[in-house]
Amino acid sequence: MSVDTTAPVTGGQVTEDTVLAEISGMLRVLLDEYGLDDVEITMDTRFHEDLELESIDLVSLSADLKERYGDEVNFAEFIAGFELEEIIAMTVGQLVDHVVVSLREAARG
Amino acid sequence: MTTPVAIVGMSVLLPGAPDLDTYWRNITTGVDAITDVPAGRWDADYYEPDLERRADRVYCRRGGFVDPLAEVDVVSFGIMPNSVAGTEPDQLIALHVAAAAITDAGGDRWLPADRERVGVILGRGGYLTPALARLDQRVRTARQLVRTLGQLMPELGDDKLEQVRQAFSDQLGPDSPESAIGLVPNLAASRVANRLDLRGPAYTVDAACASSLVAVDHAVRELADRRCDVMLAGGVHHCHDITLWSVFTQLGALSPSQRIRPFHRGADGVLIGEGTGVVVLKRLADAERDGDRVYAVITGTGVASDGRTASLVNPDTGGQVRAIRQAWLAAGTDPAEPGSIGLLEAHGTATPAGDTAELATLAEVFGPASATDRPVIGSVKSMIGHTMPAAGVAALVKAALAVHHGVLPPTLHCDDPNPALEATRFQPIAEVRPWVGEVRRAGVNAFGFGGINAHVVLEQAPNSRPGPASVREPERVLRLSAASPGHLAAMLDTDDATVLATGLDEREAATGPTRLGIVDPTPKRLALARKAVAKGKGWRGRNDVWFAPTPLLGDGGGKLAFLFPGLEAEFAPSVDALARRFGLDWTSDALVGDVGRHGKGVFQLGRLLDTALRRLGVRPDAVAGHSVGEWTAMAAGGIHAGHQVDAFLDRFDPDALRVPGLAFAVLGAPADRVLAVLADQRDVVLSHDNAPSQSMVCGPADAVEALVLRFRADGVISQVLPFQSGFHTPMLAPYLDPIRRAADGYDINPSAVPVWSATTASEYPTDADDVRDLFVRHLLEPVRFRPMVEAMHAAGFRAFVQLGVGQTGSLVADTLQGRDTLVVSAHSPHRDGLDQLRRVVTALWVDGAEPDVSPLLPTTPRRRAPVRLDLGGALISLDARTRLRMPGQASALDGLVDGSPLAAELSSLLRDTADAAAELLTARRPAPAPTRLDSVLRVSVDTMPYLLDHCFFQQRPGWPDHVDSWPVVPATTVIGHLMAFAEQAAPGRRAVAVHDVRLSQWITAIPSVDVPVSVVPAGDDRVLASFDGYSRAVVELAPEFPAAAPAPWTFTGERTPDLTARELYDERWMFHGPRFQGVEELTAIGAEHVRARLVTPAAPGALLDNVGQVLGYWIMASLPDRTTVFPVAIRRIRFHGEHPAAGERLECLVRVTSVTDTALTADMQLVRGGRVWAEFDGWSDRRFDSDPNIRANDRAPGRNTLSTVEEGGWTRVHERWPDLATRELIMRNQLGSAEREQYDAEPPRGKRQWLLGRIAAKDAVRRWMWDHGEGEVFPAELLLRGKEVVGVHGREAPALTVSVAAHGELGVGIAARGRCGIAVEPADAPDAELKATRAALVAAFGAHHEDGAVPVVRSARVGNPPGLPSREYIVAWTADDEREMGT
Repeated sequence: MSVDTTAPVTGGQVTEDTVLAEISGMLRVLLDEYGLDDVEITMDTRFHEDLELESIDLVSLSADLKERYGDEVNFAEFIAGFELEEIIAMTVGQLVDHVVVSLREAARG
Repeated sequence: MTTPVAIVGMSVLLPGAPDLDTYWRNITTGVDAITDVPAGRWDADYYEPDLERRADRVYCRRGGFVDPLAEVDVVSFGIMPNSVAGTEPDQLIALHVAAAAITDAGGDRWLPADRERVGVILGRGGYLTPALARLDQRVRTARQLVRTLGQLMPELGDDKLEQVRQAFSDQLGPDSPESAIGLVPNLAASRVANRLDLRGPAYTVDAACASSLVAVDHAVRELADRRCDVMLAGGVHHCHDITLWSVFTQLGALSPSQRIRPFHRGADGVLIGEGTGVVVLKRLADAERDGDRVYAVITGTGVASDGRTASLVNPDTGGQVRAIRQAWLAAGTDPAEPGSIGLLEAHGTATPAGDTAELATLAEVFGPASATDRPVIGSVKSMIGHTMPAAGVAALVKAALAVHHGVLPPTLHCDDPNPALEATRFQPIAEVRPWVGEVRRAGVNAFGFGGINAHVVLEQAPNSRPGPASVREPERVLRLSAASPGHLAAMLDTDDATVLATGLDEREAATGPTRLGIVDPTPKRLALARKAVAKGKGWRGRNDVWFAPTPLLGDGGGKLAFLFPGLEAEFAPSVDALARRFGLDWTSDALVGDVGRHGKGVFQLGRLLDTALRRLGVRPDAVAGHSVGEWTAMAAGGIHAGHQVDAFLDRFDPDALRVPGLAFAVLGAPADRVLAVLADQRDVVLSHDNAPSQSMVCGPADAVEALVLRFRADGVISQVLPFQSGFHTPMLAPYLDPIRRAADGYDINPSAVPVWSATTASEYPTDADDVRDLFVRHLLEPVRFRPMVEAMHAAGFRAFVQLGVGQTGSLVADTLQGRDTLVVSAHSPHRDGLDQLRRVVTALWVDGAEPDVSPLLPTTPRRRAPVRLDLGGALISLDARTRLRMPGQASALDGLVDGSPLAAELSSLLRDTADAAAELLTARRPAPAPTRLDSVLRVSVDTMPYLLDHCFFQQRPGWPDHVDSWPVVPATTVIGHLMAFAEQAAPGRRAVAVHDVRLSQWITAIPSVDVPVSVVPAGDDRVLASFDGYSRAVVELAPEFPAAAPAPWTFTGERTPDLTARELYDERWMFHGPRFQGVEELTAIGAEHVRARLVTPAAPGALLDNVGQVLGYWIMASLPDRTTVFPVAIRRIRFHGEHPAAGERLECLVRVTSVTDTALTADMQLVRGGRVWAEFDGWSDRRFDSDPNIRANDRAPGRNTLSTVEEGGWTRVHERWPDLATRELIMRNQLGSAEREQYDAEPPRGKRQWLLGRIAAKDAVRRWMWDHGEGEVFPAELLLRGKEVVGVHGREAPALTVSVAAHGELGVGIAARGRCGIAVEPADAPDAELKATRAALVAAFGAHHEDGAVPVVRSARVGNPPGLPSREYIVAWTADDEREMGT
């Protein structure tokens, strides 16, 4: 398999920081549709409570993730096992961890 | 104990401590609040320490008292101040403290919406409390007095004895049978329940000094049994009656050394205290779930009696030991274990017997001392005395605060501890120290006379968050409006406090089209709002901020839709408080997954929100629903009757709809993509086209599951849903019969509001059979929600309110992404509907609607001056005057009267002199307290003819229709009346000042109106005087005007005004007629001030009105626009003497203190003979939109027009008055009575354009008349009737044809002899010019013009002037007579 398709732009190590930065970027683009441009996004930021994203908004996020990370990261599969309350309480950190783990597994794989 | 209970709120009123914070400060800093008995509690001559003991002598006079703190804002609880005297003070104090404890817990909104789950239990003893003591004096002592007097002195006779009885009773004040209920002892709890609307158990318990903790024990059980979710518990004791002191004296329990020293070697007795404390309790699990602050957790309570083991007065340790062990057993901790306890808040009465027994108990239960484990013992009685039934709660609050703060507090006066302490683990401390230890755990003792013992175990909350209590205030909403985003940005360009201060009252009308609304305006939200406004792009709802540069609704022309959700995976309605506030029936037992019941809950919730929104003045232009929400929409729209839907849902058998083996799934993909995949599937179908990012499918469970996995593998978020019906698919067809029958049973009514169908993505048909068909199709065909929303947008819908649970709104947002749309939900899982509707109302207001917020606002009045409670129980002394009038006041002369006429005359003379002297002496006594007064003020031009000189609009001289001139009562006349009514309510006193004057609505004199007046006492020297709905002020009353007046101001940097006072009136800069023209000279004007000389006019209120005129002149001379002003509020006016007589001259000094776009504030002085007679503080004018053109028209409406004449002879007028209030003024100036009626009848949409067209056309006629030599013609003199113009009240109108057109902010008119027509089209419309030309032709010549000759049609492109939305229009016009059209 080719490593290139899954490696982040940093070209080397997949780190929490780089993924958080990239996902923050996606969320900002998504939120900018609503005009919220300089919200602080951390690992603890909650999608629903803090960013006021509804579940339908996750559809676009899912598409963004797929576009950026390819098939190695499947957000839809990730949240499939979640209860509704868990989806509502989900943090950016959970998603970042998922992406990091998925990419590392793919790299190993 | 199986159910730990959290203390989540507390408050107290105890000696030296009016509130919780002060109490804790006093405890930690060791404040000794013991004092001598205040005068009035009991008479000093009972204190006879050196005489032999007797029941009516006491040897001690020190204790804990709350007299200066016993103040309660009774009005805020809806209690009239005049009923306070007859009410037992402890009831009002309990109410005050209970409310404060609830506030501490989070406030009224924090309480469970279901008030049946909230109770209150208070410890209270059966003592002779102050009001009862006064009743005893009135009922028993008065009679006893005259009986004894009569028996000893039979010569007095019945008449004189009756006089004595009367004189005695009079000193107690008037009888007030209506407040006798305030003497019933259990009202200490019931009044709390009544005023705070707590519907669980409410009662008092009496277990002597253990009462409070027994109340806590009861409350804990209410919570553990789950009968209640929140309990208030505590104790109340406000009795220092001499009888209680007598009992303690006789028992020898009072300290002869007059010190209370618990656990001191020399402790010699108790000192009596008083006070009230209330804690708010909740199951710990609930408190943690709700994120409440937890002071401490009650883990165990114990209650036990001594039984026969002790005497009634001397305690026994057996009962105490059992109570404590019971509590610790419940807490699950061995009390004897090392580290089990850090603080023991003891009963500690400081009586030798009491302390000894308690220490023996402690030694037995907690074991002996060890070197490493010396927990602290203390008693707050050393600081506040023994507060009897309230002692337990005083101790509990202290211990809870200690646990919460992690601080061990000191005990006073224990420098030489009782040797018995050595047998215990405990030691007293004199200084505060930090509480270290694994778990902070405390025990609280309260032991009562007669051997009733109680104990409570407390420990720190599992995730204890020490720190200052945060108080949750009701949410505030900031509203701002401005002429443009730029203006709004300027208003926000200052510190937060100033921004918050400039916010509009939610009941006030907006002043501009650009609006901002923020619910709970935190600094973060304000910062966000500044950014959003700076961007100038709409911001609608995220972070509870709404901003609309131009409104979507109202003047913006967009339509509003109500959307009713269908069944969603979650259904947890939170509308209890809303239902209660609106008095709506609300019960829901809906279950998700049970389609029938779930459906009924969804339907009921939708209707509840629909009703509530309509009461708020929010009315939709159409309704629609998602899935079965469409049924709710059909009922809300009026197609189905609500009761038939209810009946249908009642009969509905949910099982009939369960289609075996089916499942739904939601897919995060657009319908076309889903359909492409479904093309090769036979059994799964598309059921919902929800939004670009969401579709739903239905089919056999395994096929649906497979489809979900397939989409998910593709990265599409997909989920199987918990529904098993086949709704919106052909698969439901076999099960449809019951529903079809029900549908056939429905009466089909014409809809009151258009109802949209998501089956057809268009409005419902009107034919009943078609409706029934569609009802069935809706169940068999896919929900086409996305296409419907698209179609609604195309039809002009811009705002969508979701009336129910779920995410229907986000489907709309997803569909209309990128297009200016307002989506807001009337329901939120995060808060009650009451708070959520506040957001809906804010959102709609920001976008130009005018909802009525008042039903959502708290109904409690603002804080007023508290009433001091009378805790006294002193003996009655007759006042001097009564004594002089009484029999038995004979002089030696009286004995000589019979034999000597001289003696008789002298005696009579002396008596007269004494009477006169008494009169003089008593005259200086304060006048009686103000009373409530309700009255009516008739406002009409008959009763107030001077109002004809206070008319807003000029009409032709002699104009018969006064209402066209609009006579209005001046604000200052209103103030004069409020003061006069206040004086009526307080005989013998003068209104010396008015505070917080609010002028909310003009009082017009035609038609005449009876304005309800109310005067409500608000403290000893103030009343709240109101003209209900119009205006109000707090009037301050005093026997005389204050002697000292402030010094008159002096100014520098001024110039001569450019107008004379005469010109001010003659040139109509002021609309005031002769009776209001008191400005004699405009003396000088400066950058921030103006001076003038006034001659007091005779008309009531005119002098103060002149002050406003002087300010008005400064505004005209100093500001470029928005110079039309009217007063809305005055912070204070203070008067230093009688009102000047007519003709008196005064100097008027005006100092402008602030100017904003919408408001202007000034202070003023009126100086009479060098001395300030009146000083105004914070006179606020509201600025209305006006420009020089409008001003000119106001000044001479008979010679000016708002329209301009264009080349070609037509007129145009642009709407330069964006706000409603100004439009109303313009409308009244431009229309006569008949036209105003037409205007009122116009539908809201198009009203503005109707007015613009009217103005332009009438202006065209007046221009024509002036061109043909006519003089003054006032707008009200002309009336358009079709294409004709007619004159009113004798005016002859020329025979002209008139044509009118309007669009957006533009109105155009044309008037000519012969036929003429005018039309306007927005320039960006396709073929605008062609359309305008055709329309002008049709307007002039009709639809089938066949004259042969081709008429000339001209056209022009005109744009809105700056300040209005940038828009261009094509105006086309034509006329028969070319000459009439100019060149």
